[in-house]
Amino acid sequence: MNKLSEEKKVKEETGSKVSAEASAHLDKEFKEHSVAEFFKKNKQMIGLYGKVRTLTMVVHEYVTNSLDACEETGILPNIDVKIDELGEEYYEVTVTDNGPGITQENVGKAFGKLLAGTKFHRMMQSRGQQGIGAAGCTMLSQMTTGKPTKIITGKEGKKPIALEMVIDPRQNEPKLSNLKELDKDFRGTSVQAKFKGVLYRDSDQGALEYLRRTAIANPHVQISFRDPMGQKFVFKRTHNALPERPVEIKPHPKGTTVDDILTYCKTTKGRTVATFLTNDFDRMGAKGIEEIKKKVHFDLNKDPKTLTWEEAEELIKAFKSIDFIAPSTDALRPIGEDQIRKSLQSIVQPEFLTVLTRKASVYSGGYPFQVEIAIAYGGGAGKKVGDQTSMDIMRFANRVPLLFDTGNCALTKAVQTVDWKRYDIKDPETAPVTVFVNFISVHIPYTGAGKQAIADEEEVLEEIRLALMQTGRKAGIYIAHKRREAENQQKRLMFYKYIPEVCKALSTITKANEGGLKEKMEKMVLARLKIDEAKEAEERARTEKTIKEDDNSFVTKPKEEKKAKEEKKK
Amino acid sequence: MNVIIMASKEKGKSKTVEKVSPKEIADRIKKTAESMVGQINKLQDPEFTTMQRGKSNVVWDENKGYLELGEKEVTRTFLNIAHARKFMQTSMIMAKTREYLEHNKTASIREIYYELKHTVADTKENTFEGQDESDPIIVDLEHSVDTIREKLNLHANPKGTLYGDITLLDRMHHNDKFNASKLGRGGWSIMSRVEPEEIEIVDSNAEYLLVCETEAIFERLIEEGYPKQNKCILIGTGGQAARGARRLIHRVHNELDLPTIVFTDGDPYGWYIYSVIKQGSMALAAHSEFMSVPNAKYVGMTLDDIKEYKLESVTERMTDGDVKRAKEMLAYPWFQNKEWQDQLKKALDMKVRIEQQALANKRLDFVATQYLPEKIRNKTFLP
Repeated sequence: MNKLSEEKKVKEETGSKVSAEASAHLDKEFKEHSVAEFFKKNKQMIGLYGKVRTLTMVVHEYVTNSLDACEETGILPNIDVKIDELGEEYYEVTVTDNGPGITQENVGKAFGKLLAGTKFHRMMQSRGQQGIGAAGCTMLSQMTTGKPTKIITGKEGKKPIALEMVIDPRQNEPKLSNLKELDKDFRGTSVQAKFKGVLYRDSDQGALEYLRRTAIANPHVQISFRDPMGQKFVFKRTHNALPERPVEIKPHPKGTTVDDILTYCKTTKGRTVATFLTNDFDRMGAKGIEEIKKKVHFDLNKDPKTLTWEEAEELIKAFKSIDFIAPSTDALRPIGEDQIRKSLQSIVQPEFLTVLTRKASVYSGGYPFQVEIAIAYGGGAGKKVGDQTSMDIMRFANRVPLLFDTGNCALTKAVQTVDWKRYDIKDPETAPVTVFVNFISVHIPYTGAGKQAIADEEEVLEEIRLALMQTGRKAGIYIAHKRREAENQQKRLMFYKYIPEVCKALSTITKANEGGLKEKMEKMVLARLKIDEAKEAEERARTEKTIKEDDNSFVTKPKEEKKAKEEKKK
Repeated sequence: MNVIIMASKEKGKSKTVEKVSPKEIADRIKKTAESMVGQINKLQDPEFTTMQRGKSNVVWDENKGYLELGEKEVTRTFLNIAHARKFMQTSMIMAKTREYLEHNKTASIREIYYELKHTVADTKENTFEGQDESDPIIVDLEHSVDTIREKLNLHANPKGTLYGDITLLDRMHHNDKFNASKLGRGGWSIMSRVEPEEIEIVDSNAEYLLVCETEAIFERLIEEGYPKQNKCILIGTGGQAARGARRLIHRVHNELDLPTIVFTDGDPYGWYIYSVIKQGSMALAAHSEFMSVPNAKYVGMTLDDIKEYKLESVTERMTDGDVKRAKEMLAYPWFQNKEWQDQLKKALDMKVRIEQQALANKRLDFVATQYLPEKIRNKTFLP
């Protein structure tokens, strides 16, 4: 060994000594820092940045909790949300549901213990926690106001209880106070918490828009909302049955990471790696095991609990080189064309609507997914800012509205890359169009911890584009027809407005009776328009036939027409 | 150039256009209106027919030596989305011009625009949004009733000046009789309407008519006493010649039987001014018959003058617009003679232009004492 490498060795030794000391210190630090403390210091990592966004996230957490509780116990959810302004950037949020209620034992777990959820690492379609959970809200409330979160909850046939809660950040444990039984009938849960440094806005990213979209993607839910100005909004239930519960499926080998394997093998019932793989993975048969056996350098009969990181890596490498059957798509639960149509008609109230639920597909080889698209035109469709109406893109992941990070999202990109001119939408910036996109999967490929944008998976983009084209064609037929109708209307008015001047001039020259000329010219215009209208009617019949042949599109008759008909009847 | 057909077909238009009375024109308008009323009474779409204008209906008549309008007609109907507004405007212009004729009034084309401009009832729209809307309608009507604007008692803004030994009589103003050499250095402002029933050419002792493009040269020649010494009438057009100036050039040339010589800048723009005076313009092809002077000659500036008079140091670079214009002109049928093809090719080759006033580089009086007298004496003309 030469001098240089000897020196290096010394350096390395001292280096490792130092780092050992440091890590011992760090370990101690870590023990003292609980999850709650971590949360306190890293709010922005979980999407809690931006004053408006934070308030919307709080509403989202409570509403998601309520929806999950109701759906898991077979109750059609009624959710009531109130936001009150208490001071500058100081608000109180109250969310009340008609859910099953929570026992005293579980209340702390639900609202007072961070990361207590059961939803992690499950391969099933779920709303998913978007970051902080209801306990995160309790934490945020006490951090910004020093005030406890108030909860009232009642189970069927029992007296409801009221209590106040804070979290001890060191222990990540809830501390309950003012616990009392109420002498009234109430089933459900009501949570009330105060927040500072947040802001309510009636904008694209505000709580109202969040709730409106939640109602659209969840037609079985009824939501009422009172904003800080005292305005009330009700989004009515349009479907009287709960969605089918999603089922949990085994992970597909192609969609698995090294870390997943090491997590799963801790809890498997399989005694050998071979049985672990066969039992715990989708599409893993004897043939697959045979192939894996040839490709790895360890015995597949070993106890899965003793798998090392390197061995798990070998497994993943083997998975990649083997052709597995695509994962089963049975676990996906789309909203359904009928229900999307009903809720959009009720909430957006467009003039024309077309809906499409595509067949399930697979991305990255291992994750089943499905896309639902609706295009709404006219009426209440589109994003209205002042006098301007522009295309509104409503993004959803497993029925949860995505309001933020619009530009980074694959769903947005898919919509924006469609050549809308082909569907008679000349400029999306001025079109009264709402595009609804629901992306459903057991695993949503979010781009970040904020969970507001979906990554550019090629198969996903392609599916959405196909669905947009399919629906776009139908919308285009309708829009083109509408445009022609509007043009004809304009034509009528245009001829009429020039008649008086022409008649006046001609009668000045010829002394012909001005009134008589006017009458005749109007008659002449009407006769011409009748011919045009006949042509139009023919065309309309064709259009309607095309749309009718397709069950997924729907035209709402303008109100004036209905009124006129009613008057005629009288 | 395929859009301009070589033709020598005798057209139906009468030589008597100049003698048509205002009453006759008013009756033609009335007849058109009556035909429209007849159609309306039968619940038919009323029609207005006029001549198609623009390159595609312009014919170069080699025998006559001027541009003529072809025989393509266009019909405007009311029940046509693209025509309805114009139809309304046409009927209004018809009524108004007929009123002028009946009451013996004349108006500028800007005045008739203002007289007819108002809001269309129950709309936010004006009958005419700008004069650029009424002007083309006036031209439509001129062609439809086979006359000229002046006969509709309408006129454009006057432009151009007359100087020299020529006596005129203004019938519309106390029968004033005056000689254009006795009106001071400014001469007589050519009116936009110089029809014989208003302005009569009484007599002249001049031997030829010299038309020059720039007012500056016009003034130079007067200051140097050129018209008197050379026995010529001088007309300054101030750029492209206006209708009144062209009409007067035509009348002076024909009624006094004087040779007409044109003097412009040596560039495509100037040469085209000459061509319009001589052969008429595409926009007013229908009126060439009584506006053009097919026998006119061109004295300068030519590109050959540069070498001849050693003007190399006072040329200017041709602009992109000049180059484009020269290329277009190369293709016009009425520029197909050898002399003008040479001149245009030379221009495109040398990429320079030479102004009339560049002659001042020699001496201020050079143009009056040497350039013009020499060239005219030697008949160094372009056709």
